[in-house]
Amino acid sequence: MIRFDANYFDGKTSISRTVIFTLYGKKAEIRGVDTGFVFTVPLVDCEISPAIGNTPRLIRLPGGAMCEAVDLDAVAALEELKGEQKILRLVHFIEGRWKAALVSIAGIIIFAWFFVVFGIPAIAEKAAFAVSADILNEVSNQTLEVLENRFLKPSELDQSRIDKLRRDFEEVLADVCRDEQCRVEFRKSPVVGPNAFALPSGLIIVTDELVEASENERELIGILLHEAAHIKERHGLRGIIQNTGVFIMVSVFVGDVASITSIAASLPTLLAQAGYSREFEREADEYAVRYFHQKGWDTESYREILVRITEKMTRYPGDSLLSSHPITEERVEDILKLEEALAGG
Amino acid sequence: MSREEPGFQDDKCSICGSEIDAHGSEERLCRKCEREVTGEANPDQDESVAGPYIADTRTYDIRFTGSAGEFFRIWIVNTFLTIITLGIYAAWAKVRNRQYFYRNTLLDGHVFDYTANPVAILKGNLIVGGGAVIYAMTEVFNPLYSAMVVLVFSLFIPFLVYKSLRFMSRNSVYRNVSFGFRGSLSDSYVTYLLYPFLIPFTLGLIMPYWAYAKKKYFFGNMQFGTTENKFRGKPGSFYAKYAQVSVFTVSVLILIGVVTFAGKSAISELFTGYTGVQNGMVLLFMFMFYMALFMFVTLIQQYIYAWMTNYCFIQSSLGSLSFQSTLKGKSLMWIRVTNVAAILFSLGLLIPWAQIRRTRYILENLKVVTDGNLDEFQAASRPEEGALGEASTDFFDLEIGL
Repeated sequence: MIRFDANYFDGKTSISRTVIFTLYGKKAEIRGVDTGFVFTVPLVDCEISPAIGNTPRLIRLPGGAMCEAVDLDAVAALEELKGEQKILRLVHFIEGRWKAALVSIAGIIIFAWFFVVFGIPAIAEKAAFAVSADILNEVSNQTLEVLENRFLKPSELDQSRIDKLRRDFEEVLADVCRDEQCRVEFRKSPVVGPNAFALPSGLIIVTDELVEASENERELIGILLHEAAHIKERHGLRGIIQNTGVFIMVSVFVGDVASITSIAASLPTLLAQAGYSREFEREADEYAVRYFHQKGWDTESYREILVRITEKMTRYPGDSLLSSHPITEERVEDILKLEEALAGG
Repeated sequence: MSREEPGFQDDKCSICGSEIDAHGSEERLCRKCEREVTGEANPDQDESVAGPYIADTRTYDIRFTGSAGEFFRIWIVNTFLTIITLGIYAAWAKVRNRQYFYRNTLLDGHVFDYTANPVAILKGNLIVGGGAVIYAMTEVFNPLYSAMVVLVFSLFIPFLVYKSLRFMSRNSVYRNVSFGFRGSLSDSYVTYLLYPFLIPFTLGLIMPYWAYAKKKYFFGNMQFGTTENKFRGKPGSFYAKYAQVSVFTVSVLILIGVVTFAGKSAISELFTGYTGVQNGMVLLFMFMFYMALFMFVTLIQQYIYAWMTNYCFIQSSLGSLSFQSTLKGKSLMWIRVTNVAAILFSLGLLIPWAQIRRTRYILENLKVVTDGNLDEFQAASRPEEGALGEASTDFFDLEIGL
C-alpha cells in the first residue's frame, strides 16, 4: 500500500491543508489531517508532474486540486504503478547519474565536432549550389556597389598594361571557368592593399597595389587561379551559410543569445569560422597548384607572392600577435607538399 | 530569529500536531513541517500577544534549494538530448530547466511550479526558428531585405513580449494558484515600440522614463490569482537614479581615459628603441584597460539592476503582501564577473553553476512581508483554458529579465 503525507491545495484558494494520500487498489484516498474532509479519486485521473532533481512532487487531481508531497520514494512508487511518462522518467533517472553527465559531455563534443566538420559544410555546399545565377549576380552587384563607394578607386595603371594583363588573364580564365562567367577588373585601393578578391558572380577584382607588388605575370596568374577556385566552388556563399550554421548551433547549445553566455559562445564560433575560411584557402591553393602542375610550371612564383603580400599587409605593430604569418607559412608548406606529391605521382 | 509558534507542545509537531518520533529535544517539528519552517516563517511577534490594534506582520524568506551539481547533470543531459534531436527536444529541456529553478524556490515551505506545455513551446521555437532562417537567408541574398526583416521583427517584438508575459505568468503557479498578466497589447506597443523610437528625438532623455515604463508594464499588470499587484513606482525616482549614475559614469570614464592615455605615452617613452618590449607592454596595458572597462561597465549594469529590482519590489504590494529586496550592485558585479570568467575557462561547463549561484543570490535577498497570511488568495477563473484561440497563440516564452 502506498501512503504518504501531502499538502493539499484545492485550486480555488491558496489555503494549504495537510492531508494523507493513500492508495487503495486503483483509487486514491485524500484525507484531511485536521479538517476531517475525505474523498477518493481514480488513480488514472491523477496527473503526476514529472520529477526534477530532488524537488517536491506535484500531483494534479481531477477537478483542479493539487497535492504537493516531499516523500519522493512514495510518489515514485505511485508513478511506477501508473506506468505513464516513461520517457521523462527515464530522463529523470539519467539526470541523476554522474556517469550519464560524462557520457553527455563526450556525446556533445563528438556530435558538435561531427556536425561542424562534416554536417554544416555538406549542407552549405548543397545550399550554395542551389542558388541561381541571377541571385548571385544581384548579391555581387550590391556588394560591389558598397566596395566601390567605400574602398575602391579607378585603376591608375597604364591602359596598355591593363589591356595586356586582361588578355593574358582571360586566356587562363577561359581555360578554368567553363560554366562560370569569370572576368577581371582592376581597381586602386590603398585601404585593401595588395590583394585580389572574387565576387560570387564571377567578377575578380585585382588591386593596383597587387600588380605593383608582383615581380612577374605568373605570380599574378597564381592569385587569379586562387580567386577563380573561390568562384567555382562558391566559397563565399558557402562561408556565409556555414558561419550562420555554427552560430545557430552554438546558440542552441548555450541556450540564449542575449546574455553573458554569448561572450563565452563567441569564442568557439570564431574558431570554427576561422577553420572554415582556412579550409577554403587551402582548397583554392590546391586548385592553383594543380593548374601550375598541368602547365609544367613550378609554384615558386605563387609561393613568393603569397609571402610578399602577407609581409606588406602587416603594417601595424599590434598585428604581430594576430597576423596571418603562421597561416601563410602553413599554406606555403602545404603548397610545397602538394607539388612534390604531384611530381612524384 | 525566534521559532516560537503558538500552541507549541513538547511531544507534537508545532504545526500539524502529529507525533514526533526519533527527534532530539530541540526539535519541535515533524519531518514534513521541518522542511516548511526552517528559515521561512519568522513571526516578528507572538500572535497571542498581538492586540487587535497592533499590526501583526510576518516576514517570509524565500529559500532557494537548487544545487549546482544536481542542476549540472540535468542541464548537460538535456543539452545532449537537444543536440541529438537537432533542437526539437529544446522545448522539453527548457521546461525541465525552468521547473528545476521554480520547484527549488520555496516560500513558506511550498514550492513554485512551471506548468508550460513543451509542445506549445516547441511551436513557438519553430516560429522563432523560421524567422531566424528567413533572416539568415535574406542576409546572404540581399542585405537590403534583411534590414526589412529586422524592421518587421521590431514591429513584432511588442506582440511577442505581451504574449510571452501572459504565457510565463499563467504557467507560473504557487499553491495551485496561477499568476496572471493583465497588461494590454496597446500598452506593450507604447512601451516597447513608441518609447524606444522616441529615444533619438529626445536625445536619450526618455531613457529613464522608458526603463520606468517597462517596469510599470510588468509589475503594474502582474496578478496572483485574482489579487492584482499594485505598483507605486514613480518616473521621478528613475530620473534621479539615472542622473546620479550618469554623472558617476562620465567622471569614471574620463578618469580611465586619462590614465590610459598617460600610461600609453609613458610606456612609449620608457621603451623607445625596444620595439618588441614596447609592443608587449602596450598590449598588456590595453588588456588591463579593457578589463577595467569591463568591470566598470558590469558594475554600472548590475548596480542599476540591483537598484531597479529592489525599488520595484519595495514599491509593489500584492493584497496584504509587500516585498523587501536587498540586492547589492557590488555583490552582483562580483557574481557576474566571476561567472563570466568561470564560463570562459570551463568552456561553458560552468554555465549551470553560474545560473544557480546568481539565482540563489537574487532570491535569497527577496522577502515577503504580510500582516495577513498566504492563505487568503483566490484563484482566478481560467476561461482561456478552453478557448483554443488564446491557447494556440500563447506559446512564446522569451527570456525577459525582470
